[in-house]
Amino acid sequence: MRRIVFLIVILAVGLAVDNPYRLQLLTIVGVNTMLTLGLNMLMGYAGQISLGHAAFYGIGAYTTAILTTHAQWPPLLALPAAVLLTAVVALVVGFPTLKLTGYYLGMGTLGFGMIVYILLREWSAVTGGASGLVGIPPLAVGGFTIRPGRDYFYLVWLMVMLLFIICERVVDSRVGRALRAIHDSEKAAAAMGIDTIRAKVSVFVLSAVFAALAGFLYAHLISFISPGSFDFMMSIRLVTMVVIGGMASIWGAVLGAFILTLLPEWLHVFADYEVIIYGSILMTVMIFLPQGLTRGVLDIYERSRHKFNSARSAASQG
Amino acid sequence: MNGPGTNSTAPAPPLLKVESVSKSFGGIHALRGVSFEVREGDIHAVIGPNGAGKTTLFNVITGAYNPERGMVAFEGREVQGGKIHQAASRGIARTFQNVELFGSMSVLENVLVGGHVRTKCGFPGAIFRWPWVRKEEREAVARAMELLEFAGIADIAGNRSADLPFGWQRFVEIARALASQPRLLLLDEPAAGLNGAETQRLGELMRSIRDRGITLLLVEHDMNLTMEISDRLLVLNQGAKLAEGTPREIQANEAVMEAYLGRE
Repeated sequence: MRRIVFLIVILAVGLAVDNPYRLQLLTIVGVNTMLTLGLNMLMGYAGQISLGHAAFYGIGAYTTAILTTHAQWPPLLALPAAVLLTAVVALVVGFPTLKLTGYYLGMGTLGFGMIVYILLREWSAVTGGASGLVGIPPLAVGGFTIRPGRDYFYLVWLMVMLLFIICERVVDSRVGRALRAIHDSEKAAAAMGIDTIRAKVSVFVLSAVFAALAGFLYAHLISFISPGSFDFMMSIRLVTMVVIGGMASIWGAVLGAFILTLLPEWLHVFADYEVIIYGSILMTVMIFLPQGLTRGVLDIYERSRHKFNSARSAASQG
Repeated sequence: MNGPGTNSTAPAPPLLKVESVSKSFGGIHALRGVSFEVREGDIHAVIGPNGAGKTTLFNVITGAYNPERGMVAFEGREVQGGKIHQAASRGIARTFQNVELFGSMSVLENVLVGGHVRTKCGFPGAIFRWPWVRKEEREAVARAMELLEFAGIADIAGNRSADLPFGWQRFVEIARALASQPRLLLLDEPAAGLNGAETQRLGELMRSIRDRGITLLLVEHDMNLTMEISDRLLVLNQGAKLAEGTPREIQANEAVMEAYLGRE
């Protein structure tokens, strides 16, 4: 039922919005939602922080960009390459990194993000260096080209929906329960026979694959990429989206991506103060709604309803 | 089981055999050459004053600690030095001294996680929900509900486990441990923090667990409960075995009385 509503909303928004700039903005919201859905699986459900998630986004985007420009591959062939390479990198990085916990895991993933960013910026011969890569071809399936605009908006949001369903199914399954168990008590999870390292690496790879898909769609949407889109600030932005929306809430991930993608557009004048504004938002949410906006607002609603009900029953008794 | 009258040729091998296990942390010898056996179908208790090495012994048996010397054999196979998560699939389940539930999850979900090693669904299965995955999930839920029924807490299956009173949490933890279908269940101070009525229910539950063919090994401070339900006891003092025997033998043991109950 909710999925049908979701689908109708996507269709309606696609039909209602004509302005190409707004359509592109909403498409980017979709790309960011894919990123937060993946990161939320890792952070919200398994409880493992990643401060370098933009790296996977970047690897996905750059792989397809390099293959379709330098090597002239068709995008459809570059897609599995981008996903596979990202998954392998996540696997190699994940095994040693996810043995770390808390701050150390944060530092480890942060370092990884920095390394990838520097690689993208300095390996000019392949990545185009700081000026990036231009002329990434649009997506073409058979003879049919999906041009940025309405078609691309639908493509991205259908992918979002697909990933959404995948997340819902994983969360409500044996593996999802194992991830949440690790989050709650790693000691008890291991005693229940859960191979905690393996489970953490698996969800790390899953979230990296989501990011690679997002990177792929982003590259062919914008047709120009540069390292700046995949830097440390992007990783922080993604973490902020997950935290604001509410960890361990799939809808929260969607909401977080929405707010933090559109906010800079609304607050153009504050461009120079982006970091300060993000920091303030993050602090405010952590202090007043530590469960995130979705859960926090729901809690407030329940509490007020509870209060209202008890007040009413007291009144009827008195 | 095999009394003098039966004509079995060899005694049944012990379910768990611990042989001269030593473990130290820095300069502290937590266990010094401890040996004992747990027979299948027994309720076996480990007692001893604080710091006697009881929890360390549990952690060695489950593989959380690797002993410096000695051997642990479960069903005749050496298991020391394995990974912690392997214990459950071997048939060893445990509860924790301070109750380690998955607080954000419901009681039912906790028990379902307990059945982790008896189910197979991975990421592809979760995403595609093949018919066998649905069947496995249905069966797992049915088994979990049966266990909650067994532990007398079926009516709180949907509650968030962190919201429960402490005593109930302990019963949830036992049901969760049973979900891995263990042959040996380790209970680390199961009566700690329980009131009198709950302790009595716990005793009854432990007996009915034994009646299901599951062997119990428990660390316990509640002497009444321990003496009442145990078939055999192991007494540890300062990391070493002080005595071993039936409750009656232990109660008559001079050394135990002196070291543990502190006689003048």
